Parts: sequence; C-alpha cells; structure tokens
Amino acid sequence: MKFQCERDRLAEALTIAGRAVSARASLPVLSGVHLELRHGTLRVTGSDLDLTISSVVDVDGDDDGIGVVNAKLLTDIVRVLDEGAVRMEVDDEEARISAGRSEFAVRTVAAAEFPNLPEPATEGVEVEAAMFAAAVRQVLPAASQDVDRPILRGVQMETEDAGVRLVATDSYRLSVRDLPGTTFLAEGQQVLVPRIALSEVARLLDDQQSLTLRLGERDATFEVGSTQIVTRLIEGAFPNYRSLIPSSHPNKLTVGRDVLLDAVRRVKVVARDTATPVRLKMSADGLELSVTTQDYGNALEQVDAKYEGSELTVAFNPEYLTAGVEAATGDEVTIETIDNLKPSLVSSPESPEYRYVLMPVRFP
Amino acid sequence: MRLVIARCSVDYDGRLTAHLPLAVRLIMVKADGCVAIHADGGAYKPLNWMNAPNTLVADEDQWVVRNPKGETLTISIEEVLADVDHELGEDPGLRKDGVEAHLQELLAANPAHLREGLRLVRREYPTDIGPVDLLCRDAEGRAVAVEIKRRGEMDGVEQLARYLERLERDPSLRPVTGLFVAQQIKPQARVLAEARGIAWREVDYDELRGIAPTELRLF
Repeated sequence: MKFQCERDRLAEALTIAGRAVSARASLPVLSGVHLELRHGTLRVTGSDLDLTISSVVDVDGDDDGIGVVNAKLLTDIVRVLDEGAVRMEVDDEEARISAGRSEFAVRTVAAAEFPNLPEPATEGVEVEAAMFAAAVRQVLPAASQDVDRPILRGVQMETEDAGVRLVATDSYRLSVRDLPGTTFLAEGQQVLVPRIALSEVARLLDDQQSLTLRLGERDATFEVGSTQIVTRLIEGAFPNYRSLIPSSHPNKLTVGRDVLLDAVRRVKVVARDTATPVRLKMSADGLELSVTTQDYGNALEQVDAKYEGSELTVAFNPEYLTAGVEAATGDEVTIETIDNLKPSLVSSPESPEYRYVLMPVRFP
Repeated sequence: MRLVIARCSVDYDGRLTAHLPLAVRLIMVKADGCVAIHADGGAYKPLNWMNAPNTLVADEDQWVVRNPKGETLTISIEEVLADVDHELGEDPGLRKDGVEAHLQELLAANPAHLREGLRLVRREYPTDIGPVDLLCRDAEGRAVAVEIKRRGEMDGVEQLARYLERLERDPSLRPVTGLFVAQQIKPQARVLAEARGIAWREVDYDELRGIAPTELRLF
C-alpha cells in the first residue's frame, strides 16, 4: 500500500479511529489501526471489538492494499510531522512514513489477524444531528460508569408517544429526554446503546446536518460524515424506570439555572470530597444552600427563588445536582420534591422534554 | 525462641553455595527448629534460613544446621553480643482485620442473607490446609463452603478452590459447592470464580450492620 495525503486530514482520521483502540487491547492486533487503501480512498479503522470506528480519507494512492500499524505510535508520528503532504508506504514488515526531511519506519502487525468486523445493517434512517447530539448530551451524565453494572452503562432508546425517548440511569439519578415527532425507531423498538459509543457520536456531530443510523439485531451503526461508528448493543433488560418517576410532587422550587449552578459551585468548595452533600433549604423566603464539613468548615449562600410547598431541607450530591441542572436548557429550572428521602425531579419549564430524577442524600 | 546477636559469617551449602561475610547479625532459632539469620533492615525476610526439620550442632565458635536433604548452614561466630532464650507459648494465629472478621460474624449469624435457606454448620470449619470461614447447608441440605474477604481478589478464589478440593474428600460433605463473598469482588476474581464453578456474592457491610446508607438509590 502506498499513498500520499495531507498531514492534518490523516492525523484527524487516525485520531478519530484511534478512539476505539483500547490501551489494554484484548488482542495485540487490536492495539493497531487497520489501514485499507482502495481506489484512492483510505479507510482507517480502530476497534476494541465492542466499538469500531472507521474514518475515510481521500488520498493520492499508488498501490492498493491493507496494513495494521500501532495506533498510538502512528498517530504520534503523523502529528509531529511538518505540515503538508505525508507519504506512507506499508508492507508486511513495516510502515514507512515520511514528510519533508523526516522519515520513520515502524513495524506492522499482521493484517490477517485483524478481526472481521460486523457489516452494518443495510436499512438506515436519517436523524437530525443537532437535535440528536443535544439529547444525547443531556442524558449521558446519568449513565453509569460502573464496569460491574453493564446494563446501566448504556442509554435506552425507545419509542414513546409517536416519538423517541432516551433514558439513562446509574441508580442514583435518571435522565429522560423525549424527542417528540422523531421516528428513527420502529414502533415498540427498544435498544440499549453503550454510553461510550454515543459519546463518540455526539463528539462528531457539531458541524453536521444529519447522521444515518442503521440498527441491526446486535449492533448499531452511526454514520457521521466520513466516519462510521459501529457498536455492539448491550443485551439485557433496562430497569423499569417508569415506576421510579413520581407522578406528583407537593413542593416546587423555581430558580434561575445559572444562579443555582453558580451558587452550588461556590458552596461546594468546602466539600473536599464528592461524598459531602449540598443542602437546599427551601421556604417561602427562597433558597438557602449550605455545605458543612467537620474538618474544614461550612459555606452558606442565599438565592432568590420562588417556592410553593411546605418548608423543606433536602441534601444532594453536588456533582449529581450540577449535572442535572446543567443539562436542563432555559433560564429557569424547577426542583420538585416530596420529602428529603424520596426522588426529586429537576426539569425546565421551557423544555419539558427533559427530566432528571435525583435521589437525595441522607444527612444528620 | 532463642535470639542471638553475634558477629558472624554464614555459609550455605546446598542447591547452591552462598556466603555472608563477617558482620553483626541476629540469629533466630525457633522452637520448631527453624533457623534464620537477619540483618538490621527489612521487615521479614532473613538473609539466610533453614526450615525445620533440621538438626543444629552448636559449638562455641561454630553452629552447623543440617537438613534431611544434606544442605548445611554453617554459622562461624566471632563474638556473641547477646543471647536470650524465651518461651513464647502457644501461637493464637493471625487475626483477620476488623471488617473481615466482623463480616464473618455477621454472616454466620445470618447466612440466609447470602442465599435463601442457607444455614450455618460451623464457623472456621477445619480442613487439613486451614479453616474455611463458614460451612453451611443449603435448603436442599447440600454443603456450601463460604470464604469471606473484605476485597475479593483472585487469590481468595484460589484459596476457596483449595478448601473445596479438601472438603470434597469427606464423604459426609460431598458434593460441596463454594460461595465467595466480599464487599467488592474484582472482575477478574468473578471470572475466575465462575470458571472454577464457584458462586460469588457482594455484600454491603453497612446493610449487614443495619446502618442505612447515606447515598440513597432509585433502585
């Protein structure tokens, strides 16, 4: 394989594909990127078998062929080359990369050992990029990062009232985002997509108008511009989350979104660990936030807010509260509560499609 | 236990030869016959040692320790600086750390927390390679060996596998199944347990103690 390509375009393709390459690859060959040149098109693919990312670049190709080169090493080399054209030649033994007066020769990995990756489903639907990216970013923070709870490491995508719903939970909080009028799933269809894959998709959507989604029985393919992301779907039943969302809350606080975020950011400075909760004292006088730590001291801030209900003090994990409020759009957020031990609901009057159910933290 | 601080040199002759040049060292002669030579550093590992059984012939300026394989440890003593002998009595053994011992106690009192119908036969059930934490019977009367750790790692699984192998030899117990229990079990330990046919279970220490967790969960 032999080709010539602009450094920045090659570096971008390697960086994108390299995100699927695990630092602790299960097979040695998976620490590499698979390069395939065919008729002037270079496909760069990285995979950890669960997630596969391919990026395509148009190159000035001489000889078609394939090769596998260590992903990090090749990306590092291409990034440090002089701007301009990069020449690359790959055979069974080594890959030679040169630009300007620099030349590198690195060992290749046997391309035949690179696993056959699943072919994407043929049926695809087009999805509006901005809307999908915004929804994914709203629910992702609630998805679990706990390797021991694989089901919760995914985002449930399902049909709901002639639209689509995205749901994520780590059991401490639950994010729900409705996409009314969107029909990229078949009626009654439910798929559980790994958080990591959706995070990579959202990252690519900034300058895009749309993406193509292809759902297979065991995998989902997202095509964004010249990049294709194929992920295995998570098998198993997502928790029955509907029963976890309280149908009504007697207490309702309405507060400026940014004002609340700023206040939480300030008071949590004295909470030197993530286990220290922020307390919200809600009354007709407004909102009082406080953090108390035995070792360091305390912080208190008064915030103007509208409150309907009986006076209540409830404590939350400040990181979880911040994540839920940040994901809400609009100038104001509402925090609806039942008592200081039952799930609270964070939402925005301006965008009711998003809801964030948050469990309080017990405090002395 | 005899402790001798002496200026000495030591020569080992066995599978290989080793020489410790002349210096002040601590020589420990344990009641079971083990001999160990320590320098003034390092937590536990002697510079040289000879495990029991062996014979010790102690002359004034030379001790010779010999084991049944014919290996010898020759300690040439130039000056004895201290020589004390003390009876240590019976060794009560190593106590497990507080949480682990308490977990065992709590689960012994309530084995059904681990599995419905599980009942305790005995704590610290002896095998010829050491005691297994709990021996229980399940609802069908089958023996279940339970090993309890604070952190569940692969060596704990291997330990339980060894106990199971010994317990299986007892016709009054077999078939014996294993249950590996810890507050947290590492993914590799889970895989190993499953590969060995051993069930595993994570337990919440606070819950067992009846303490409600601070962080509440939706489910």
